Amino acid sequence: MSFPNPLARVFRPPPTPGVLAVFGHLDAAVDAVIALKRGGHQGFTVYSPLPRHELEHALDQPVSPVRMFTLIGGIAGCSIGAWVSLYMSYDWPVQVGGKTIGSIPPYVVIMFEMTVLFGALTTLLGIGFNVLLAATHRGTIAYDPRFSNDKFGIFVPVAAAQSGPVETLLKGCGADEVRRA
Amino acid sequence: MSEGMNRRRFLSVLGVTGGGAAALGACGVGSEPAQKLIPYLIQPEDQVPGTATLFATTCRECPAGCGLHAKTREGRVIKLEGNRESPINHGRLCARGQAALEGVYNPDRVTTPLARTAQGTLEPISWDNALQRLGDHVKEARGKGIAFVTGHEAGVFGELVDEWTRGVGGRHVAYEPFAFEALREGNRLAFGIPAVPWYGIAGASYILSFGADFLDTWLSPVEYQRAFSRAHSFDASRGEAEAMAKFVFVGPRMSLTGMNADEWIPAAPGTEGLLALAMAEVIVRERLGASVDVGPVRDLLGRHTPDAVAGAVGIDAEAIARLAREFAKAGRGIALAGGIPAHYPNGAEIVAAVNILNYVVGAVGKTVQFGPNSSVDMASSFKEMVDLVADMQAGKVALLLVQGANPGHSLSSFMQAWSKVGFKVCFATMLDETASAADLVLPDLHPLEQWNDARPRAGVFALQQPVMQRVWPDARQAGDVLLALAGKSDTFKDYLQSHWRAAHARAGHAKSFDDVWNEALQHGGVYTDAGSQSVRLAPTAGHIMAGAPAAPAFDGNTGDPVLVAFPSAALYDGRGADKPWLQELPDPVSKIAWHAWVEVHPETAHKWGVVDGDYVLLTSPFGAVRAPVSVTPGIRPDVVAVPTGQGHTALGRYAKGRSFNAFDLLSGAANGYGGRTFAVRVAVTRTRDHRFLASSAGDPRDVGPGEEIIRVLPLARAQQLKPGDHPFLQREAPEYAEPALEGWAEEQRKKANLGDYAGPHPRWAMAIDLSSCTGCSACVTACYAENNIATVGEDLFVRHRQMSWMRIERYWRGGEGGEPVRGVVTPMLCQHCEQAPCEPVCPVYAAYHTPDGLNAQVYNRCVGTRYCANNCAYKVRYFNWYNFAEVGGEHEAWPAPLDWQLNPDVTVREKGVMEKCTFCVQRIRGAQHKARLENRVVHDGDITPACAQSCPSEAIVFGDLHNETSRVAQLAADPRGYHVLQELNTKSGITYLARVVHGEEA
Amino acid sequence: MTMTPTTAPERTTSRVTYDVVTRTIARTLGNPGRGYYLLLGTAVGLFAFGVICLLYLLRYGLGMAGYSMPTYWAIYITCFVFWVGIAHSGTLISAILFLFRSGWRTAVYRVAEIMTVFAVMTAGLFPLIHIGRQWFFYWLVPYPNERGLWPNFKSPLVWDEFAIGTYFTVSTCFLIMGLIPDIAAVRDVATGWRRKLYTLTAIGWRGTNEQWRHYRPAYLYLAALATPLVLSVHSVVSWDFAMAQVPAWHETLFAPYFVAGAIYSGCAMVITLLVPLRKLFRLEQLVTVHHFENLAKLCLLTGMIVCYAYSIENFVAWYGGPTPERQAFWYRAFGRFWWGGWTMNICNAFLPWLLWFKRVRTNITALFVIAFFVNLGMWMERFVIIAVHLAGEPFAPFVRAGYNATWADWGIMAGSFGWFFMWFLLFVKNFPSVSVAEVKEELPPPRRAAGKHA
Repeated sequence: MSFPNPLARVFRPPPTPGVLAVFGHLDAAVDAVIALKRGGHQGFTVYSPLPRHELEHALDQPVSPVRMFTLIGGIAGCSIGAWVSLYMSYDWPVQVGGKTIGSIPPYVVIMFEMTVLFGALTTLLGIGFNVLLAATHRGTIAYDPRFSNDKFGIFVPVAAAQSGPVETLLKGCGADEVRRA
Repeated sequence: MSEGMNRRRFLSVLGVTGGGAAALGACGVGSEPAQKLIPYLIQPEDQVPGTATLFATTCRECPAGCGLHAKTREGRVIKLEGNRESPINHGRLCARGQAALEGVYNPDRVTTPLARTAQGTLEPISWDNALQRLGDHVKEARGKGIAFVTGHEAGVFGELVDEWTRGVGGRHVAYEPFAFEALREGNRLAFGIPAVPWYGIAGASYILSFGADFLDTWLSPVEYQRAFSRAHSFDASRGEAEAMAKFVFVGPRMSLTGMNADEWIPAAPGTEGLLALAMAEVIVRERLGASVDVGPVRDLLGRHTPDAVAGAVGIDAEAIARLAREFAKAGRGIALAGGIPAHYPNGAEIVAAVNILNYVVGAVGKTVQFGPNSSVDMASSFKEMVDLVADMQAGKVALLLVQGANPGHSLSSFMQAWSKVGFKVCFATMLDETASAADLVLPDLHPLEQWNDARPRAGVFALQQPVMQRVWPDARQAGDVLLALAGKSDTFKDYLQSHWRAAHARAGHAKSFDDVWNEALQHGGVYTDAGSQSVRLAPTAGHIMAGAPAAPAFDGNTGDPVLVAFPSAALYDGRGADKPWLQELPDPVSKIAWHAWVEVHPETAHKWGVVDGDYVLLTSPFGAVRAPVSVTPGIRPDVVAVPTGQGHTALGRYAKGRSFNAFDLLSGAANGYGGRTFAVRVAVTRTRDHRFLASSAGDPRDVGPGEEIIRVLPLARAQQLKPGDHPFLQREAPEYAEPALEGWAEEQRKKANLGDYAGPHPRWAMAIDLSSCTGCSACVTACYAENNIATVGEDLFVRHRQMSWMRIERYWRGGEGGEPVRGVVTPMLCQHCEQAPCEPVCPVYAAYHTPDGLNAQVYNRCVGTRYCANNCAYKVRYFNWYNFAEVGGEHEAWPAPLDWQLNPDVTVREKGVMEKCTFCVQRIRGAQHKARLENRVVHDGDITPACAQSCPSEAIVFGDLHNETSRVAQLAADPRGYHVLQELNTKSGITYLARVVHGEEA
Repeated sequence: MTMTPTTAPERTTSRVTYDVVTRTIARTLGNPGRGYYLLLGTAVGLFAFGVICLLYLLRYGLGMAGYSMPTYWAIYITCFVFWVGIAHSGTLISAILFLFRSGWRTAVYRVAEIMTVFAVMTAGLFPLIHIGRQWFFYWLVPYPNERGLWPNFKSPLVWDEFAIGTYFTVSTCFLIMGLIPDIAAVRDVATGWRRKLYTLTAIGWRGTNEQWRHYRPAYLYLAALATPLVLSVHSVVSWDFAMAQVPAWHETLFAPYFVAGAIYSGCAMVITLLVPLRKLFRLEQLVTVHHFENLAKLCLLTGMIVCYAYSIENFVAWYGGPTPERQAFWYRAFGRFWWGGWTMNICNAFLPWLLWFKRVRTNITALFVIAFFVNLGMWMERFVIIAVHLAGEPFAPFVRAGYNATWADWGIMAGSFGWFFMWFLLFVKNFPSVSVAEVKEELPPPRRAAGKHA
């Protein structure tokens, strides 16, 4: 339909041309990453069925901003907890057991629980938000089901014209197979 | 104005009968039924919807004749309270009296005349038809024998019955299962006067009861209990010697009365008289008593020295001598005989012996006065009843009318002779055993719907007036029926008035009759003092107890334990069994409700290998019953005891088919003095069956002596206490820390006093004097009545799910190692703590603290977590496990029209909410509103919770703790004062005043 | 993460490759047999029975249950605490052991986590069931209302509500987080409707470096948040009792005592569930005796703490001196409910001593039996603390009374087990019950030249 869907860009970004390499061995994939970086390639994507520190070292990406989400969430939760319990006590003062109307010690429990709750929720928010953001400016890129099982993979976004050298580079690093996508 | 009379009440009572005459007219003595919620067309000016109107009348639940104030709202009686002007009960009322309400509203009342059909069923008929039949039978029965059996009637109705029976040539038997033949006969033997004197217990300094249960069932319990607490409750202000009378109880079983004794002498059954004579002997020999002529009894006493009787009685001679000396030295002593001993084969002699004791000690004329005699002796003797039964057997009775009595329950021989009677008519409010077997049942009016009068004792003329529109329009007062039968046109009210008019004329009163009559209506009667007459020992006194001192022979095989049947404190002879309040009222001693039991001494129980709840088969020469055992230390090992009142085969849903009928074990023959013997030897055989006792007390293994709950002081120590002493105060913190802690607490209080809490407020509080409290449980029923507390029934009671906001805790102490057994009691109710543990744990603020110090429970907000109940150390919160108000529900507490008794000022609680004592908050607010209207502050005494109001021993005082001049504030400062579980720092609002006992151990 | 592959071989046979892991776990999904349906049917049946009992309760009132004054709390709260306790080991294993970098957790933590989530789901029902007016349960929640009333934050029950709510949310997040890469893994080998399901639930996971980059720290932070939460939740539950003044409830010891007990019972429950699961799903290769031994060690540790707590509370009752406290513990040991007290002592305090022996720890059958009795004992512990100490409440001796549970109590308790196992069974047949990605972390990665490090 002609009617434009604003979310389409986010969830179905347009496909990106490039080269996809499948690696059976971890160290091969690592070598490829290093080679690519040396070759000045940017924004290529590495697939792995599990997080491996070797890859991370090779890629050495900036620290994830998720932690800020957690921190802010936690602080917000704590203060909301304090506000809720104290405000609601003084909103309609009711004496129970001769205790003070707004007594902090019991409310610490509420504050703590709210801290954890909000911290956890904002963390989820953070990862979802960041991953989605990355996805949108990467565009739709090639994938191989084996990547979630026992193969590592690298996708290099290059126009079909310049893909020749990339293919040879990846092959050189010991990719099991390399194909255009 | 008479004592205990305050302006407010006086006005409202006055209000009744001014325009009340109109109100009464409308309030339907006429048979015209009004189908409106407020059952009158033109609203009398004194009847304001939402405010209560009090009618003064007289209680007919027992022969005592206490004065009532019937509290009516919108034309319906919702509560019965004592009439403060009555010289009998002085504004107090027992549980039985208050439960009369459930007699009016009982869902199983007879609503229309019933006649026996050919098929033998009872079918409704019209009044004309009924009167027709009755008239015919009266005609044909003339000369063939007509008998009229009523209950104890000390009033005009009795006279009407006499008149009527005379007219038709019949006889009138006033049947009371517990008639007081022995008293009458004993007094005749001793003094030649067959009358029951007035006993001045209040003034006594030494009370010696030979089985007389004057706190639960004997003669006039409310009057005597009030008097007893005046004499026996500790009052330092009365001085060293007078501080507190000593009370010694002689009897085989520790009844409620015995439980309040300082010393319990479990004499062998039937030897109480010997003990009395021996004491008299000591007093005479040692010249301790008054200088009276003991000629007639000199050699009688000679034969009964302490040494001579000690063996038979089972107490050593020294003890007897000690008692005698104490008794005589006390000055104003009084000895009472009654209860079970007065129903032994030698009951009359026991009474006579005790009279002799009274005489030689000089009590007669002082604490025992002839003249203001009780009217209980107007009941026929058991012998007359037995004769009637014989005549019935012999077919000499063609027509039998029964009203206000239920011999079908208490006298099996009566029912055996029943069928031999030509025609049986019952005037009945309930289909009891007798009525349900009758040929013609006429729906009678309940005493609260009747005109009548009563003479509790000489000089007291109590009036009885209808307090509301009759509940069942088709019911008619027996008096009216009799008059109609006699072809008279006037009603029983006219008949009553004519009698009063005559009396008025005789008295030559200054005021006009109408004034006298109206005043009588206002004040509940006319109260005069009858002069006392002096008496001397009669020659017959010397002839009692001929032969060697020994216990009497009881029916049954020697060697078997003696069984005594005692009148149940709640159900009496069974007339209370149709009232759920009384069924659910735990017995003051055994704490059992809803069923009967047999009391067995621990040693005996161990010997027989039975425990609580095991069924034993009790076989007497006259019958056998299966009874669940209740092991109690308060009984002689060679005696077992059963209460009367249960085991009905009719009498409505609440009474029918509950455990066993104690009367089945008793002889139907009259004994020597024309009375009935309530003791018999029974063979006891163990059965395999077991039940859980419906007891409000926990498992005896867990209950213990309750030292933390009830504090007891020996008299000596109590007298040493000076104002400012706090023998029971425990310090939680060391001396030096106190100021700091106080400061901190003060800070907390400041921080907590926001909003509604700011500024000065009263602090409602209560003081309960345990040296007055007898455990009679009148307060419990008062609480049920005032606060719409549901009765839960036997099954839930067994599961400890009763809702009783006020419970009387009874702990046994002593017993081991020869030390005396003592039962101690305390009322336990919400303590309205200042720092209540129940409040902060409620997640929804349903339990919270009001500015005036009440521990409130918001039913509408409660979600029923029950956390509050767990955290309440006193365990005085009660949970609605079911919807007790559900119409037609399995656990419905108020089947119509019982729901009419509900107090409109109090919410009926829903299923799933917590409830508890509110200090009768509706009365507090009522008094506050009233004060505001009258533009004044609330005075001390304006507010009386239902429990305090009913308490016959005046043990409960309520008021504002912040007002130093209030009585409660003064009592709270009493050295005997203590808080239960004070160490929990709940700052409880109830101050208990320690119980005081004669003797060392506490 | 510093996973040295040299530690791997001793854990799993080196024949196990990434591919084997994926296949083994993927094999556990789908095509259930008759036995499975039988189990599921039983669970659903029990649950249905519980629901019927609950309907009775709602219609007629709590009187249907066996309560009798002063035992105002009984089986339902017992079950509540029991299930909350069960819920603890899950997050402990997945979060705390994650922070401690103990590798062995990877094989078992998924089962522990699903157990956690479903146990909290079960526990959460009981406070609603046990209140008198269940239809007003939401009054405990602070929501604006025209009455202007708020809940009472001083009440431990409100703390409880917050703690349980938070715990349920967080442990669910944690479970889902861990699941996503594994769902992706099974998605890529699945077919048919399952493939659609997994595609949907994997929410686009492909294991790109960008995804892992955010995923790993996020998981770490969740673990960091969940760790104090685990310790707090049962502390708060314990304060329901410790904040009250009932003797034998009012103890400062309660928080650690309950937490240890919770983890203890949790690990026992993991063993109870894992032993049959391992057999049925033929996971011997992934879940080895070594894992059970570690679980057993965890049981031993917490069991010893519980043992200590028992002895110390009895000691303090005697040494501290308040009479009611002494009476309470005397009642526990020799009162009418002595059997309860001794069951809990034997099962919880004495039984774990067996785990000192390696031969016991490495014997699956023995572990299974011990775990079962520990579960029994822990349930009994809660019953003793709640029902027995209320029945024998020494402050008000006059009303101390017995307690007899009724069909309504047992029915709803059975229903809760049905409810739990219903969800558990549904889960394990449809989602990977052993982590795919994390088990792979324990394996030597495929290299061209083995042993050569990048």
